[in-house]
Amino acid sequence: MNKRPIYPFTAIVGQEKMKLALILNIINPSLSGVLIRGEKGTAKSTAVRALADILPSIDVVSGCPFQHSPLGKHDVCMECGHDTCREAVLGEKEVSVETRGINVIELPVGATEDRVVGTMDLEHALKKGEKRIEPGILAAAHRGILYVDEVNLLDDHVVDVLLDSAAMGVNTIEREGVSFSHPARFTLVGTMNPEEGELRPQLLDRFGLCVNIEGIHDPDDRVAIMERRMQFDEDPGVFCKTWEPESRKLADTIKSAITLYPEVTMARELLYEAASYCLEVGVDGHRGDIIIMKTAKTLAAYNRQREVKKDDVDAAAELVLPHRIRRQPLQDIVVDVKSMRKAG
Amino acid sequence: MKHLDLFPFSAIIGQEALKLVLILNAVNPRIGGVLIRGEKGTAKSTTVRALSMLLPEIKVVTACPYSCDPDDPDNLCDQCAKNPSGLKTTVRRQKVVTLPLNATEDRVSGGIDFNRAVKEGVRTLQPGVLAEAHRGILYVDEVNLLDDHIVDIILDAAASGRNRIEREGISFAHPSDFILVGTMNPEEGDLRPQLLDRFGLSVEVASEKDPDLRILMMERREAFDQTPTDFLRQFDHENETIAGRIESAGEILRQVKLPKYLRTLITEICTENNVAGHRADLTIEQAAIAHAAWCRRVEVSAEDIQAVAGFALLHRRREAAPPPPPPEEDKKQEAPPDNEPKDKQKDQEQPEEMSDDPMDKAQQEPSEPEPGDPDDSSEQERQEQEKPRPEDIVEQIFDVGETFKVKKIISPKDRVFRRGSGRRSRTRISQKQGRYVKSTMQRKSGDVALDATLRAAAPYQIHRSYERNGLAVCLKPEDIREKIREKRIGNFLLFIVDASGSMGARGRMAASKGAIMSLLMDAYQKRDKVGMLSFRKDEAFVNLPPTSSIELAARLLKEMPVGGRTPLSAGLVKGYEIIRNYLLREPSARPIVLIITDGKSNVSLGDRKPVDEALLLASKMGADDRVQYVVVDTEENGLVRFGLAKRLANETSAAYFKIDDLKADTLMNIVKESNRQ
Repeated sequence: MNKRPIYPFTAIVGQEKMKLALILNIINPSLSGVLIRGEKGTAKSTAVRALADILPSIDVVSGCPFQHSPLGKHDVCMECGHDTCREAVLGEKEVSVETRGINVIELPVGATEDRVVGTMDLEHALKKGEKRIEPGILAAAHRGILYVDEVNLLDDHVVDVLLDSAAMGVNTIEREGVSFSHPARFTLVGTMNPEEGELRPQLLDRFGLCVNIEGIHDPDDRVAIMERRMQFDEDPGVFCKTWEPESRKLADTIKSAITLYPEVTMARELLYEAASYCLEVGVDGHRGDIIIMKTAKTLAAYNRQREVKKDDVDAAAELVLPHRIRRQPLQDIVVDVKSMRKAG
Repeated sequence: MKHLDLFPFSAIIGQEALKLVLILNAVNPRIGGVLIRGEKGTAKSTTVRALSMLLPEIKVVTACPYSCDPDDPDNLCDQCAKNPSGLKTTVRRQKVVTLPLNATEDRVSGGIDFNRAVKEGVRTLQPGVLAEAHRGILYVDEVNLLDDHIVDIILDAAASGRNRIEREGISFAHPSDFILVGTMNPEEGDLRPQLLDRFGLSVEVASEKDPDLRILMMERREAFDQTPTDFLRQFDHENETIAGRIESAGEILRQVKLPKYLRTLITEICTENNVAGHRADLTIEQAAIAHAAWCRRVEVSAEDIQAVAGFALLHRRREAAPPPPPPEEDKKQEAPPDNEPKDKQKDQEQPEEMSDDPMDKAQQEPSEPEPGDPDDSSEQERQEQEKPRPEDIVEQIFDVGETFKVKKIISPKDRVFRRGSGRRSRTRISQKQGRYVKSTMQRKSGDVALDATLRAAAPYQIHRSYERNGLAVCLKPEDIREKIREKRIGNFLLFIVDASGSMGARGRMAASKGAIMSLLMDAYQKRDKVGMLSFRKDEAFVNLPPTSSIELAARLLKEMPVGGRTPLSAGLVKGYEIIRNYLLREPSARPIVLIITDGKSNVSLGDRKPVDEALLLASKMGADDRVQYVVVDTEENGLVRFGLAKRLANETSAAYFKIDDLKADTLMNIVKESNRQ
């Protein structure tokens, strides 16, 4: 499955904002996701799928369906059937670890609730007369990226479940005789076409960043898109190889940004700036402030600075606030944050 | 799960009311829970989860899955009651049990223990969430999104303090006395009044406005995310202080006295606020006692009562207000449906506020042939109802009038299986969700009903012993039963709006638009699909083909012009076309058609009189029983009434409403009426 070549992330023409938002989320998963709003055919899905190439790798306990980190004592699921992993981690014993890339898990629009949260493994139950949990998509997405194409068309109860786990970082299953919970912290990446209806505000708020994208208008760029696509379709292997150096460069930048992030500092006046952004444009709650701060710091780390600059805060606000600005019921999403601020 | 790091309670900034209310509940469980309402991202869930680290310790029967209290022999589960003297006890912290939204009924109340049923052939109960939550806190995040049948179970248990299980051949009862804590965002729809009343107290939370505090919040959050362990250590001491204080308050709770004159005060407060029922009185009393104990006093004072009364009354006096509206006055076009004051005076103020909006004026002016602001004129019209109005209006755009909460409009139950989501009408469902109502021998969905399957297989086990292959149960294909499930799904709502000149008179269009907007908001909360067509001049226009985008519908509604004659027949025909096409695509759908008109048709399609033609068409349309009709009559109450809309409703066998009838009888309305008497 992994053998099929994927269109390289770096070969995507334009759409800088979207690429930036995705990269920031890889560097700092606590930004809690991106919502990409835009018309059809603007490389939304291509970009998300291409992420797999540039993602850093993580250590997981081998064979664990929940992608447990061998270091994370506090997120061992106590009821997990894989006793070995729990005992080993808690007892600080040696545990077999494998290093692999972060998963990009796709949640199909038609997914049913039991597949998303996990359910009782019926086959096992009937054959062995025992209950066993069959992990769902949320388990697979733990510590990875959960990608929902057309997130606004998702069934409502599935959205509720997503909200629940995204908020708590834990997926709790209480259904069909199974009672179980496991950590489920994932970066939620959603794409949507606003013409098909808006998202519910509650889910909207769960996305850390939001980018509006549109088709590219520059004819040169459009030609570049066509050329690259043609090359890719003709011989994906060769095409990917030509872009490999650049992909690796980006992956390295991301890696160094991850290590740099904890050292980034943010001056008090800039924190003040972030808070006043939120106050002036009118945002519900505090998630906006916190995400602006984190985004600004991540941006700084990405640009290899140890200190956040005013520009970083401005850029962060453009990504964080558009979908958070308080709207009238049934009103459209604001596109330009800066002008809102001036108007307010 | 127990190893999960929680943001410490004492590190939460602001939200003093929320913290106080939670602490009071921890001190005195008899308060009966908290409902936390507020906008997103205001640390609602964080605070509740953080509370779990501060809860006092309780004595429980060792290994009893129902956490029975050994000191309360009258209230034991069936198991412990068999041997009340020989119980061992352990001490543990009170639990916060989370009820996830995806919970199914068998896990909430408890169901058959599958492992034992198969292995030992014993029918035993596997305790559910209600058992676990006994003597602890049952926490429901987004409680307003919880399925109705789960709400019913919780209500039942909360009311009686016991959970009775009568299902899957099990009959069992155990005490289930829990503190119900729920959080909700009112934007997502409201709670049923019944459930609302179950919450002892309720608090509104809003975000902090002080930038300095917001900065502090950002700093703390980041510190917590980066090094949780260090951060926790920093607040350990403070957390322990609060936990200690909660514990000592709990100890003196029984000694706290409530002077008699204060009881009268409580009653007065409740009567003054027109509270329904007596739960408010009792809650205030308990909360005041807890507050006194928390302040280390053994006598309740008037201040204690004042401190807590607001929380007990907020959701009972009226429907609690949604989060504070945006500060900018000019953006206040329509307030959310449920904080709309219903009295006449406000009714008239509303359009004034709306006309302040420069955007709207800009839209109206070009289309306004008469001098003066159309809004003002409609405004005057409302005040001086008898003033004659020139009939030669060509085209106008009216603002959206007052919005309100609408009555339930649902389609009747039938036996057709459907797919979908939403929250309007109950239906059989072919997906693996919803309430499991019964089992069937037909196999098509792969949704196996284990209990029924096992029951079906049980009698044959003796005869099948030779083919068991070491398994406890031998199942044959003919034993397998599947679940029939039921849940609510959204409908397709088609709005047929009369936009003729007669609707423009006396601000009726504004009121109608208000009604439609209310229905649209309701449709948004119920996740319906909508379509809209209007008829005026000589024809009907499809403003909006069937879509899920209620936003689009709302925008089109605002821009919908009014004027010209009334081609009701054309509107009906067009509406029928849309519905027919929709049904071709989704044969199992149950569309609801809402006709908003005064019925005064004056343009016909053929040779008949317009009114007769419309009624004839209506009766033909009414013959299709897949479609449900609702007629909203916009005719003014007056001396001369034609009652044409009523006749239209009769022909289509539609539900008939006046605009005012559409309003839901909420708690608030009842209170308002008794106020006037």
